[in-house]
Amino acid sequence: MKLKQVNTAFLVMTGVSVLVFIYLVFLGYDDIKTLKDIIKVVAAIAFPVPLLFFVRFIIIENFLPQNTDAYKLKNQKPATALLVLTLIGSLVIMKLAEWLTGQQLDDHLIVAHLINSTTISSYVLNYMLYNNLKVNGVLSGLLLSLAIHVFF
Amino acid sequence: MNPIMQPPKPKSNANKRELLFTFQSIIVTGLLAFTAIAFFFQFNLRIEKGIKVIFAPFLSVVPLLFVLSILRDLRKGFKEGNYSKNEIIRFCLITVGITLLFTGITYLLTKIDALEILLAAIMAILSAVFFMRSKIKDILGMSVITGIAEGIIVYMIFLF
Repeated sequence: MKLKQVNTAFLVMTGVSVLVFIYLVFLGYDDIKTLKDIIKVVAAIAFPVPLLFFVRFIIIENFLPQNTDAYKLKNQKPATALLVLTLIGSLVIMKLAEWLTGQQLDDHLIVAHLINSTTISSYVLNYMLYNNLKVNGVLSGLLLSLAIHVFF
Repeated sequence: MNPIMQPPKPKSNANKRELLFTFQSIIVTGLLAFTAIAFFFQFNLRIEKGIKVIFAPFLSVVPLLFVLSILRDLRKGFKEGNYSKNEIIRFCLITVGITLLFTGITYLLTKIDALEILLAAIMAILSAVFFMRSKIKDILGMSVITGIAEGIIVYMIFLF
């Protein structure tokens, strides 16, 4: 299959996502009391899956580029720039949103679960099918900023 | 190169689309079962007459089987190429519409206070999904099924 594509970056990103998920569950451990809360968390995790299938259905074309050195070299800089930009940008946006609404993200863990699951699903999809390095950068930045925001 | 590591021969896009469609309908089926179980425990639904629970699913399954047996395929099947921009926008709008509709329908499901009625309603939706799955093999069916799935999830996350 596509075993060769599963490299370190992929494993690290998945690991970060799982860590964030576990941390979120522990953070909201006191809130998860009733069946209703469990249902909400499960729904938040399932949210991106049908959307992804739909997107894949519409855009069926496989853009899988050859993972050559030339391709990597060409996209190195834009991808890194996008990673840093998204990282800082989404951190600022999250802080700003918290400041504007006067609420903490920690109090709305469902939103954090949503961001986490949506990002990692898109990441896996992009990784498996399109392998677009720029999109990789954006999604990694988003996930990392969520992790940083939640942890600190 | 190791011949085992060779990628499998590329399937046609129509086949891939059909596979995605099947997955999507499996997801919707799972979500509907999830909804039924969640509502059953959350609202402590009572069972009025046990025999009704057995008969409730047949209410929609029997007509479905009848319709499936007499109807020919409504659509030509999946397209091989890409969809045009207009089509994509149109079907995304349809998906959003169905999502909103099903958020409302899931809300209505919470108002049901007996298990047999809930089962009948869930089975009716499930029958509709299987109808799409077997007869409307098209992007329209895919939009509707996606809308159903997202509607249920949106209700569960934000309104439940």
